[in-house]
Amino acid sequence: MNTNMWLIRREFWENRAIWLLPAVFGAMLIVAALFGHVQLPALTSPNEIHTFGAAFLVAFGLMFYTVMSVYATWYLLDCLYADRKDRSILFWKSLPISDTDTVISKLIVALIVIPVVSFVAADITALLAAFIVSIRLRASIGSTLWQPDVWLQMQVLWIYTVVTAAIWYLPVAGWLMLVSAWAKRAVILWSFLPPLVLYIIERWFLGTNVVGRVISRRLTGLPAVALNTSGGTSWHVDGDTLTLPSSVFHFINPSGFFASPQVWIGAAVGVALIIAAIQLRMRRSEI
Amino acid sequence: MALLIEARDLTKKYGAHVALDRANLKIEAGRIVGLIGPNGAGKTTALRAILGLTSYEGQLTVLGREPLRQRTSLMQDACFIADVAVLPAWLRVDQAIDFVAAVHPRFRRDRATGFLAKTQILGHRRMRELSKGMKTQVHLALTMAIDAKLFVLDEPTLGLDILARRTFYDALVNDYMDETRTILITTHQVEEVENLLTDLIFIDKGRIVLDSSLEDVATRFVAVAVAADRLDAGRAAKPFYERQILGKSELYFENADREKLAPFGELRTPSVADLFVAKLSGGAA
Repeated sequence: MNTNMWLIRREFWENRAIWLLPAVFGAMLIVAALFGHVQLPALTSPNEIHTFGAAFLVAFGLMFYTVMSVYATWYLLDCLYADRKDRSILFWKSLPISDTDTVISKLIVALIVIPVVSFVAADITALLAAFIVSIRLRASIGSTLWQPDVWLQMQVLWIYTVVTAAIWYLPVAGWLMLVSAWAKRAVILWSFLPPLVLYIIERWFLGTNVVGRVISRRLTGLPAVALNTSGGTSWHVDGDTLTLPSSVFHFINPSGFFASPQVWIGAAVGVALIIAAIQLRMRRSEI
Repeated sequence: MALLIEARDLTKKYGAHVALDRANLKIEAGRIVGLIGPNGAGKTTALRAILGLTSYEGQLTVLGREPLRQRTSLMQDACFIADVAVLPAWLRVDQAIDFVAAVHPRFRRDRATGFLAKTQILGHRRMRELSKGMKTQVHLALTMAIDAKLFVLDEPTLGLDILARRTFYDALVNDYMDETRTILITTHQVEEVENLLTDLIFIDKGRIVLDSSLEDVATRFVAVAVAADRLDAGRAAKPFYERQILGKSELYFENADREKLAPFGELRTPSVADLFVAKLSGGAA
């Protein structure tokens, strides 16, 4: 246990972007809130106020989560490759740490630590931005941004997202780690070339599109499986309607998610890919 | 004496290239063993196999363990420096000490910090900011603070200047070596380790061509400087290697009767470097 904590700490030492990236991104948003043009819409009904407050927080969460997802992808591709490239793997392997522990620690960083860091950064930035906007507008309307129940509900949504995304994206993470443990160079190229070749071969010779559909559903299908998107409260603005669920507990769909065979088939594939990555890590030391 | 490392028919192939060809090795506890061979002879491959860093064919036992499968537990009793430049560039000296102290049950922190206190190296320095010699000192401090039964060094002084090399070997002998430890060291610079070693293993083209203690070397091998007029008689005694030096021929014999050789000329025990050259080119001649 202690070793695992130190392995995760080690990842923070090596990959300072885990906290530097959200810090810089958050600072940029704060600067925008301080000096940019801010305007709050005139909201009348409690329904609209609730929706707007939630949309404000979701927007921050989504921005940070998107940025950090791109980073996590890069992190996974690099994590078993960088130390083989600079040969520092020979130092790490001289310590009594198993390859399983090493690989798992990096997986945890990508699927748990990085998302948690991004949501914590989103919360902090959203609070600061709400504070700045409220002062700049000197208006009671600023209170739209201070709805404790909405704020607490968002924390439930963040935790739910971290857990479901970690399971849903396990096969993606497993594939990226396998490439990272295997490739002698060009990890980015190797990450998409084999699936692309499979896709082209299938279309060319069979005329079907199973590979393409499976991959695109895996990459974009999490909301459809994990969330309940029907019904809720609305905010009408400029003729458009933004509808958000009235409560996060209507929005999340854990029973649907955990009962979905797609989820568990994907997780099984993910585990198999990670075991393969560990085996490669045992046998490949240097490039 | 207990065997620390035992390899039988150790073989490693990279595609068509055979890096290790049915090598047999026995290393006892308490020795300083030099694994010596030209570049590409299979030294590093042998060490990688012994340290559980690569797969192999044949039988291999290190400290009672099977290295590839049991590397994690092996590394509690064995440590290694695989060339000096492998400490990650982003790692800080104090982080390195903290990390090893946390994950290695046999690491003695006071010994590492004591060793570093004698140098100019500051704790907050990153490895990328240190010279190669300084990095070596950090790596040595980290490794020598581990109470290991086996210490493996692969070309430890590659790329170091003469001063850093001397410091390295002095530290190794003075601060580290005692009868409970075994050191396995590879190098292609034989002269550098000659005075250190108790045992010699020569490796060439993936095969072990000599495995002997230094005491045995002195009785097994003899070089005779033979004058030109007695050369034919000397050659009749079947030397395994011959070279020209200062107008004389020096003939190398293995397991020969010294009294019979004495009439040919002056006898001497060859140095490790001489023997290395003789053994490796002798096979081809």
